[in-house]
Amino acid sequence: MIKKKLSLIISFNKTVDAMAFEEYCLKHNVNGRLIPLPKEISAGCGLAWKCEVDEKAIIEKALSEASINYDKMSEIFI
Amino acid sequence: MVKVNGMGKTCPIPLIETKKAVKALTSPDTVEVMVDNNMAVKNITRFATDSGYKITTDKISDKEYKLTIEVAEIKSEEEKKMDESCAACGATDNTGNIVVAIGSEKMGCGDEKLGKNLMKAFIFSLSQAEVHPKTILFFNGGAHLTCEGSLSLEDLSNLQELGTKIYTCGTCLDFYGLKEKLKVGEVTNMYDIVSTMENASLVIRP
Repeated sequence: MIKKKLSLIISFNKTVDAMAFEEYCLKHNVNGRLIPLPKEISAGCGLAWKCEVDEKAIIEKALSEASINYDKMSEIFI
Repeated sequence: MVKVNGMGKTCPIPLIETKKAVKALTSPDTVEVMVDNNMAVKNITRFATDSGYKITTDKISDKEYKLTIEVAEIKSEEEKKMDESCAACGATDNTGNIVVAIGSEKMGCGDEKLGKNLMKAFIFSLSQAEVHPKTILFFNGGAHLTCEGSLSLEDLSNLQELGTKIYTCGTCLDFYGLKEKLKVGEVTNMYDIVSTMENASLVIRP
């Protein structure tokens, strides 16, 4: 089992928004990665962005610049 | 000695009762199982050997077998959990030899971009699961996933560290010009791909 660590998870209302955010982040070298939406956040399916907890400000800026709406930010061990 | 009476019980009850008896042990002991059919002998023998226990079989008659399992070491709770399976009649323990065969960069048919993201999510989830596959085979378009530029390299490296063997089809690497770009795992050939699949208790094709 991989050792879990506290991560910042950004969930989206639409899968296409999560995918668009990944595209933006890869293009602009924003740290993080797309993962399946953790069960701890929602029982629904979907994709979410995972990054370090101290990168919240960078992510908020990136979301704003990319004009992508997100559902919520959560901090969970994953 | 702990005794399990599997006589007259249909498969997979003798196997399940044997597993329960072994799991309940708190110190090294011997579990003696009586069964009346060869299928139960095979299933219990496979369970014991896969779990690392010594087992001896005495055929008393065509309808009576005595199996003696020597549990020399008590497993931790985590290890016991790993050994659990919902055995169906004649089925092997699926956690024993899971092989994942990935023949595409995409998961499922439909939108290409979504398919690629689903495959990434699938590999990430594999790395997070409690039971990891013994082997992951990559072939055809799936070969891209083990090579430079793949966004699944970190997950695959994690799986490799956890003991999963990762093999990519050499013909495919050659075809796609990726021979020098393989970043995780080893190169394999079709003979080994076939034998790996044949020896698997479960083959998953996402």
